[in-house]
Amino acid sequence: MKIKKMHIIGGIVIIAAMGLAMNAFRSSLTPYVTVSDAKAYGHSVQVAGITEKESIRYALDTQKLVFTLREDGGAEMAIEYDGAKPANFEDADKVVAIGRWDKNKGIFEAKQLLIKCPTKYEGRVKGV
Amino acid sequence: MINFGQLSLWLGIITLCLSSLGYWVAFAKGDGTGTESYGRTGFISFTIFVSAAAILLMVAFLGHHFEYSYVTRYSSRDLPLLYLVSAFWAGQEGSFLLWVFLSAWLGIILMVKSGRHESRVMLIYTLNNLFLMILLIKQSPFRTLALTPADGYGMNQLLQDPWMAVHPPIVFLGYAAYAIPFAYAVSALWRRDLDEWIGPALPWAIFAFVMLGAGIIIGGFWSYKVLGWGGYWGWDPVENASLLPWLAGTALVHGMILQKTKKRFRKTNFLLVSFSFLLVIYCTFLTRSGILADFSVHSFTDLGITGWLVLFMGVFAAISVWLLVTRAKNIPVEHEDDLSFFSREFGFIAAMMLLLLSCLVTGLGTSAPLITRIMEKPASVSTAFYVKTNLPLAVLVLLLLSFVPQMPFGNNKPGRLLKKLPWAAGGAIIALAVALWHGSPNIGVLLLVVFAGAATAMNLELAIRLMKKRFSLSSSALVHLGVGLMFIGIVASSVYDHSEKERFIQGATVPVMGYDMSLSAPRFLETGKGEKVEIPLRVSKGGNSFLAQLDIIQEKSSSGQAQQFVHPFIKRGLLSDLYLAPVDFETRDTSELSKRISVKKGESVQLGPYTLTFVAYHLPQGMGSGTMQGMQLGAQISVSYKDGTPETISPVLDMSHPDNPGTRVRLPGPETASVTLAGVNASEKTITLVYEGPESASNKNDAASSPKTWAIIDISVKPGMTILWIGTFLMLFGGIVGIVRRRQKHNSGGGIR
Repeated sequence: MKIKKMHIIGGIVIIAAMGLAMNAFRSSLTPYVTVSDAKAYGHSVQVAGITEKESIRYALDTQKLVFTLREDGGAEMAIEYDGAKPANFEDADKVVAIGRWDKNKGIFEAKQLLIKCPTKYEGRVKGV
Repeated sequence: MINFGQLSLWLGIITLCLSSLGYWVAFAKGDGTGTESYGRTGFISFTIFVSAAAILLMVAFLGHHFEYSYVTRYSSRDLPLLYLVSAFWAGQEGSFLLWVFLSAWLGIILMVKSGRHESRVMLIYTLNNLFLMILLIKQSPFRTLALTPADGYGMNQLLQDPWMAVHPPIVFLGYAAYAIPFAYAVSALWRRDLDEWIGPALPWAIFAFVMLGAGIIIGGFWSYKVLGWGGYWGWDPVENASLLPWLAGTALVHGMILQKTKKRFRKTNFLLVSFSFLLVIYCTFLTRSGILADFSVHSFTDLGITGWLVLFMGVFAAISVWLLVTRAKNIPVEHEDDLSFFSREFGFIAAMMLLLLSCLVTGLGTSAPLITRIMEKPASVSTAFYVKTNLPLAVLVLLLLSFVPQMPFGNNKPGRLLKKLPWAAGGAIIALAVALWHGSPNIGVLLLVVFAGAATAMNLELAIRLMKKRFSLSSSALVHLGVGLMFIGIVASSVYDHSEKERFIQGATVPVMGYDMSLSAPRFLETGKGEKVEIPLRVSKGGNSFLAQLDIIQEKSSSGQAQQFVHPFIKRGLLSDLYLAPVDFETRDTSELSKRISVKKGESVQLGPYTLTFVAYHLPQGMGSGTMQGMQLGAQISVSYKDGTPETISPVLDMSHPDNPGTRVRLPGPETASVTLAGVNASEKTITLVYEGPESASNKNDAASSPKTWAIIDISVKPGMTILWIGTFLMLFGGIVGIVRRRQKHNSGGGIR
């Protein structure tokens, strides 16, 4: 195979791969949205807020973690998470739930929870 | 008082500047004028001062010098020695010092080894260190507190693991090492010496590959062993930050071997070496600037170094681009007109392209919050993106690994390969059969399995054949064998794992996935800052049985935050692991009438019809003995039934037997209810009580038995984990053999095979 031909084929492969990657990139973006937007959106989003401490429980039938998330504006939403309770969950400053709203069940099905805890890894005591 | 740590850092940066200056003059005036000695003295002094700073910080940790804010935030008096040492690099500031420290010592080796390239290589290398020093001084670990606290905040439970103790030094050794091939390449291009740098720089590039690779793998191993989510890789930005330079660096190693053998790819290699070095800075920027704070589980905060990191990146990117543009026409492009499909060259080029594509798509995903911030609301990509994009690339990489390593450089006839084909076919068929036997995954996964099997078999044959000639010749075959095994392990553990959550009630045997499991009475141990619940689970299958111990640790950090950690239990096996992670735990009946509560001194709680007030601690006996042996601790609790006249009860806990539940004390009043003192935390002034209400108590036959416990446990069977770890080990081991092999070649003067 001639080198020039190689370059052309290589270029096409790279461009095609990057095109596919961009497409996958756009479709898997999970933007930060508000609770009301999350309920309207069809696809995966992330919502940040604080957990209602009293609402945290394990649903004994489904064995999923269920809790209520309240965002800054005060809007609330029930969240279901199928997994182990993350470390520091109860006392997190902020919880980010990544997943999608299930219209039929009226619950946000979280695939992943990010816990923003001031003592984890980095101290909040920056200024002491 | 003089802050000697801070002083050392300042002296370090000054001597480093002098070193740069010395090397600059030596470079400008030409070699052999003797001004290198200034550069050399400067760099040695810099290394001494940085080492002094590191020793001072270590001493501060070992001696509990809580006047340093950094020491306060990451250690405490009760920390064992190993974690006092590793607390050094538990936070951002200390890990920068570690980076500079390792970089300085690598620089000493570089200074000695670089020979006549010294002044130019060291000039670039000192510039890189200068930027690291600025970052370090901007966020120094030697900041002091106005008031010295009595104790520190301690180390995060999750980081208290031997693997996590060694992970950062290895990662930073890798990070520091990526600057060395870059320094060689820039100095080579500068004086238009286009091929010679490859020889001395190649062992360093492989060293960086091995170190960063080892760091990534240790991180994964730790994540699997400690975090309890059952995985080893989560595509978190912080994980990706070490993967990106590693992927680019792996492409670089291939490019350098190709240039060494065939004298081609000079420009490509310069691009790759700059790219992998710049990626180290870019990833440091991504993870340390706070720009991903809302998108990563590792919450990094901005410590005011973002601007410097951008400048750091900009300067070295500018140097790279400027050199490449000005030298481009001087770089001869020597290549053959023909490139056979059946040649190692073609395979190398394709592999480098695939590694770079993987690096680019992963980088694109990791940078999503940054990219989208410019256009709209910041957004991150789901982890599915990384899997979706990297799966086809991995399939192609394994396809190449199945055939290319068996082909020599130059044009080949397909016939040569045909003789080896039974190996590839055998590996592929076995892998495919095993995969289909256990279920039918999608076509992408099946292709991955087929080529992983073929690559493993082909490289196994090659490794054995080359080992017979000379062991060191098998280095790359070992690396590639490791990659094949690693992918078999990845597919097995992520596609063929079974997971179930099961609720256990103490005493009852539950059949789960072919095992019989039963929960025994938990043990409650008071730790320094909270409570550790040890949950014993008896697991039996056939005639074999073992006791798995799962822990849930509930701690209060000194800043008052309650934290919960779990320790999973892993029963490792050659073919599959049994992974048990506690999810939730409660000592109460399903009727919720048995409760575990903690009461502070002087406070009251309402339990059913009772009001309990924790009045005081009391020591019933052995008060003066002062020993823990046989010591009993009690609490005085005032109880009133339906707001009636309070009566005092004194439940007792035997401190010498933490597993022995405290005596159950019946509560006054007409109903049958009781409390048990389950724990005492004197520093927090709290006690833990287990309350059993009227109904739950009446349900029990034996009034003296401990309260019922239930636990939700995540049970997974993960096949292939051991194969995965063996694969990663072989990959790194092969890399180390490669360093030795390339060093020998370089030293023996011949260089090219």
